[in-house]
Amino acid sequence: MDIQLPASATLETEIRLARPAKATRASDFVSRLQVIQTILGAQHFAVLRLTGHGLPSARKLTLSLHNWGQDVDGNARALIEAHGAAMLAHLEVSMLPLIWEGAGDSHFAESGAAPFTERLPARLVPWSGMAFPVRLGAHGNGYVVFLGTFIAPSSDLVVDMHMKSCQVLIDMLASEEKKLAPSEALSEREITCLQMAGDGCISEAIAEKMGLSVHTVNAYLGTATTKLDAVNRIQAIAKAIRLGYIT
Amino acid sequence: MVPSSWREGGMDFRSESEQGAIMETIRSEGAARESYGFSAESGERKSARERLVQHLGRCADRASLSAGLRALTDYVSASHFLLVRHDASPEAGLEAVVGSDWPFDLVRCIAATIVASQSRMGELDKCLTLLKPCFSHLADDVAVPAGISREYCIIAFHVGRVRMSLLLLFPEHFILSQSKLRDVGVMTGYFASVCCKGAILRHDREMELTEREIECLYWIAEGKTSDEIAVILGISRNTINNYITSVMRKTATKTRSEAIAWAVRNSLV
Repeated sequence: MDIQLPASATLETEIRLARPAKATRASDFVSRLQVIQTILGAQHFAVLRLTGHGLPSARKLTLSLHNWGQDVDGNARALIEAHGAAMLAHLEVSMLPLIWEGAGDSHFAESGAAPFTERLPARLVPWSGMAFPVRLGAHGNGYVVFLGTFIAPSSDLVVDMHMKSCQVLIDMLASEEKKLAPSEALSEREITCLQMAGDGCISEAIAEKMGLSVHTVNAYLGTATTKLDAVNRIQAIAKAIRLGYIT
Repeated sequence: MVPSSWREGGMDFRSESEQGAIMETIRSEGAARESYGFSAESGERKSARERLVQHLGRCADRASLSAGLRALTDYVSASHFLLVRHDASPEAGLEAVVGSDWPFDLVRCIAATIVASQSRMGELDKCLTLLKPCFSHLADDVAVPAGISREYCIIAFHVGRVRMSLLLLFPEHFILSQSKLRDVGVMTGYFASVCCKGAILRHDREMELTEREIECLYWIAEGKTSDEIAVILGISRNTINNYITSVMRKTATKTRSEAIAWAVRNSLV
């Protein structure tokens, strides 16, 4: 099946190439987030990203971008202590934006997309806020949070800003993309062996199905392991699935 | 049925290749406009979207799932919808289909292909193509309803842990608006978050592995041996092996490798 690349993809890379490199990246994200913040009528934004890949107990939200001028640690801690657990659980099951009212008399938070917004307990933190969950997949998940005293976007704004928030996290992930990709491409044989091993075949069974000797199969799996920079066969299988070589 | 002002393209009598070129131009113009920070289009469109959200709100229980999807499909002027989830195992076949008004034969032909093509993608690619409308062609031997294009559109999104895709069929020589497709991606995500809540939670509970078991799986996927994990977690090697045996029993897998492959596919590690 040939998948036609959306024209936007090529266009975006061109634009990206035209931009000056790395150093301006962070400020680039900041200015995009500041635009959203202004549109929503918020005073601050914060990007919380999910860290602790894999282990449920080790998963937590950490602050990766913000525009709090002062007392950053205190603010982040207050936010995560009050709503962190609820936000983590929510990110596992839903895409709906979260909204909450802050402590204080003049606070108000109401979403125009009411049935499609979930409300967190009020008055736990000094600001009202709206948090857009962004679940990209295996990497780069998190929340884009906007804080203020009066947050009342229309449903149109909610959809638009959620989309923009997703795009920011997608671009953040794309800009740190280096880590993956094996040093050398896997051969057809190596991929077949890995696939069968991942499907629960032992080397003997693979050898029989492919009409090779057990030693050859083990050798293929060995070279695949090296190419994928893994320490053993099992890690090689895990990496091959994550990279899309096998299913 | 659809106000003509919604249509961004229409029938014309140009050759195939010319039309292809025009389609590209229109798509990229839309993208260009958006990349400069203009949100799609303003004015009357906005209110159409607000009305849609209200309508979806009313449909937001399992019983009217297809009514909601129908409304989303009409919003982009597409003709048929198919919503699939990608967490079902490849053998499950039609289990992966959440809702559809595609002709049944078409669903049967394509569901497996779609699920397979998704799992062929690398994790990073999957992450980067989220909410981006992609176009693809149906195989030539598949019968499509009269007047429907062989090209179809896929938009992927995540409802919590579950990746889903909305596939849209549309009339021939018809161009779907990129910005509306993006809107539909987000709104289908919202709608499915509410409508399929039960199904998503239930699925989560079915594969009940304990925290410790997942912890072991994680370290094995990182390439550690039982001995090393015993040191890391401070429990005995035999206990580790017991955990793994229990994982293999629960997931009906035959070897350690298969158990890890299963865990990676289900994004547990």
